[in-house]
Amino acid sequence: MSLQFVVDGLLTGSMIGLGAIGVTLTYSILRFSNFAHGDFMAWGTYATLAVVSAIGATFGKVAPIAPLSFGWPLLVALVVGMAFTALLALLLDKVLFSRLRAQGQAIIVVMASFGASMALRSLLEFSFTSRPTYFSRAIQIAMPVGFGIRITPDQIALLLLTALLVLGVHLLMTRTQIGRSMQALSQNAALARIVGIDVAGVVRVTWILGAALACVAGVMIGILVQIRPFMGFDMLLPMFAAAILGGIGSIPGAVLGGLIIGIAEAGAVQLIGAEWRAAVSFIILMAVLFVRPIGLFGVRER
Amino acid sequence: MIDLIGYGAFFLTTALIFSLVTLGLNLQWGLTGLFNVGLAGFVAIGAYTSALLTTPDDAARLGGFGLPILVGWLGAMIVGGIAAALTGMATLRLRSDYLAITTFGVAVVVQLVALNAQKLTGGPFGIGFIPRPFGRLAETPLLFNLSNLAVVCVVTLIVYLALEHLSRSPWGRVLKALREDERAAISLGKSARFYRVQAFAVGGAIMALAGALQAHFTGFIAPDNYLPILTFQVWVMLIVGGSGSDVGAVVGSVLVWAIWAGSGTLTSILFSPEQQARAASLQIVAIGVMLCVILLVRPNGLFGERPRRMRFGKRAKATASESGS
Amino acid sequence: MSETVLDVRDLEAGYEPGVPIVRGASITVRKSEIVVVLGPNGAGKSSFIKAIAGLVPITRGTVLLDGKDITAAPAHTMVRLGLAFVPQTENIFPLMSVEDNLRVACGILERREAPARIEEMYAMFPDLARQRRAAAGNLSGGQRQMLAVARALIVHPKLLVLDEPSAGLSPKFVSMVFEMLAGIRKAGVTILLVEQNAKAALATGDRAYVLVEGKDSHEGVASELWNDPVVAELYLGQRPLSAEKTGHAEKGGAA
Repeated sequence: MSLQFVVDGLLTGSMIGLGAIGVTLTYSILRFSNFAHGDFMAWGTYATLAVVSAIGATFGKVAPIAPLSFGWPLLVALVVGMAFTALLALLLDKVLFSRLRAQGQAIIVVMASFGASMALRSLLEFSFTSRPTYFSRAIQIAMPVGFGIRITPDQIALLLLTALLVLGVHLLMTRTQIGRSMQALSQNAALARIVGIDVAGVVRVTWILGAALACVAGVMIGILVQIRPFMGFDMLLPMFAAAILGGIGSIPGAVLGGLIIGIAEAGAVQLIGAEWRAAVSFIILMAVLFVRPIGLFGVRER
Repeated sequence: MIDLIGYGAFFLTTALIFSLVTLGLNLQWGLTGLFNVGLAGFVAIGAYTSALLTTPDDAARLGGFGLPILVGWLGAMIVGGIAAALTGMATLRLRSDYLAITTFGVAVVVQLVALNAQKLTGGPFGIGFIPRPFGRLAETPLLFNLSNLAVVCVVTLIVYLALEHLSRSPWGRVLKALREDERAAISLGKSARFYRVQAFAVGGAIMALAGALQAHFTGFIAPDNYLPILTFQVWVMLIVGGSGSDVGAVVGSVLVWAIWAGSGTLTSILFSPEQQARAASLQIVAIGVMLCVILLVRPNGLFGERPRRMRFGKRAKATASESGS
Repeated sequence: MSETVLDVRDLEAGYEPGVPIVRGASITVRKSEIVVVLGPNGAGKSSFIKAIAGLVPITRGTVLLDGKDITAAPAHTMVRLGLAFVPQTENIFPLMSVEDNLRVACGILERREAPARIEEMYAMFPDLARQRRAAAGNLSGGQRQMLAVARALIVHPKLLVLDEPSAGLSPKFVSMVFEMLAGIRKAGVTILLVEQNAKAALATGDRAYVLVEGKDSHEGVASELWNDPVVAELYLGQRPLSAEKTGHAEKGGAA
């Protein structure tokens, strides 16, 4: 068995992990599992794609930053896409989730997110059809790095970007006032209000953070695989599994969970075949629920 | 005219099969408060089980065993019930979201098995030659459609009456009580969980039965029939009808299916063939928005029970800290 | 008499409309006083104090803090208005370190002021200083109470409000908590607390109110109130005062 699956797994795991951060934050702070999170990914990716095309139409063809497959337009577009996805999440919260949250039934919010997910995804299908599309059709040469592993420059760049983002989020959560406020809110919402934390503000930051990271994860999928309306929906189960495996509320846990699932998927693809990939997350999810439902870094709910 | 009656019978047959699934969901969600976002998986399990049991022997895959149709339906219910019971056992001691995620996973995996386990399910091409209850009548479509409708009516009626009876029984009252207070249900431990697993299993069995019925009326099944959109449609049916009400489940199913089929016909008239796939996605958007609007504006649907008490609301929180005074 | 810090007039509050738990209670707290609210089980003491802190909806009456109307203020704005509340239970963030528990409460302070203020709290509570990196959930009951109080004091409140600070603590810790409160008052902080432990509370407090069936029935100097026959009746249990009715009132909020 070639060790290539480790690199493949780390890449898939990065995408899952970045998405799972949003899932775990929404769950621990807003107290519901957001089935529309995958569709934030897809919407962010299509928004980024649209901005890339707009830049291309305005400035003509821009040479990629060698040796990568993309140039500055994608980077600019990614930032715009992240902002767009964050706005989308805030809008959805305003018109839908926040109102249902106020009614106090957590599971109704989950159902609404399921409905929103369906609508968002179909809207993408309507606008862009279900045909896959790409940021770039250029084929990159994978460089051998020893042990039979090959990796492309794009893949290296994206792994570094993931590491950077995860580190950034970790510092945000542990070293800043807003991060501590998010932790506080997830541990005890009533007490958080008493100590003067503006819950509405923290909720906004939660959405912005989760949605922006979902957009990055989506664009990574777009660069390395392809862009489809279903791209986010297909990531939903791995993201949930990663968040639960890592322990709900734990950011390092979500990322580690994502990497574990990514590597397990890549291994399974090599051993049994790509068609069974989606079952891996389910098996891991069931194993976690039976053996240690609080996950690796989780804490028992009080 | 005869065409119209034939179509009406066909329409109602489909709608009533949907209403069977909705009744199963109503037992799980409306009565017991268990959130199933993977019901398409349980419907598929029923359809494939019954198909495997009743189709004539096929060299390309496992079975079929050529058993009588009723045995197929019974088998579907048993396998669907077991699958649901296992899902419930894994998750019902945890918060309700875990059940939602797990059922979602069940649907994904069932879809995967249907697509890839060619030896069992025929893969993407599915299973054909599923025996029809009144296959001899197939030459006279009207009679065939009407007899199908009769069968579905009878099955739906039986399930409906059984569920009404169950929900009024002591068993049903326990389920309702547990639904009202999830924390109590979790803390009550094993016995409460067992009740909920039972309800989830019976609901799963009903869904599987519906899947089997559908398989035997169309005579052909494929993985495409059991996509997440099915789950979604049934949820909308239940919410429109009003969760908690069996009448609501049936009426909601017929109504939503009418809207769905009607808007489908409309798009096929209004849009050119190449645009129809896009138009169909717009149909889903509309239904998705509809679900959200109903949840916001009229969460009890047409026939739903009185507003349920809050479970995670301010009161529950306040109560926890109030108890010390 | 010194100036009034808190003035509560005819307060009516409850979780559900039409089912008030607090039914027209009035109290006054003056600067640098320790005022104790006593009352039999189910008298609505806890709801009363939570209503003041913005945690229970108020249906009638006013709450003035330093002459400013804070009746309808949302709970999260209370610290900014000068009222710091210490809940009875779950009053710390168990998974965060002691230091982060203090830091997270510094939101309304100047950014530069926060570290110095945290050090001041450590100076006041050396036990906490020794455990600053420890998860708050690992502290002992008494230390948790200290942390909760420190967290409330850190923002220079005009009024510190505590809900049964001695509940669930062993006798040794109870006296420690009341010594701590006496020390805090000496530093000039005004304190309002609800207590079940009447003896200890009256020994430390300046004045006390007795709340019965959601209304203030008695007011007096703490040391005298202890000898009052009505208080004796309420707390020595000679003749339970309409226990059924008050029990019912409490159920309205806690069912």
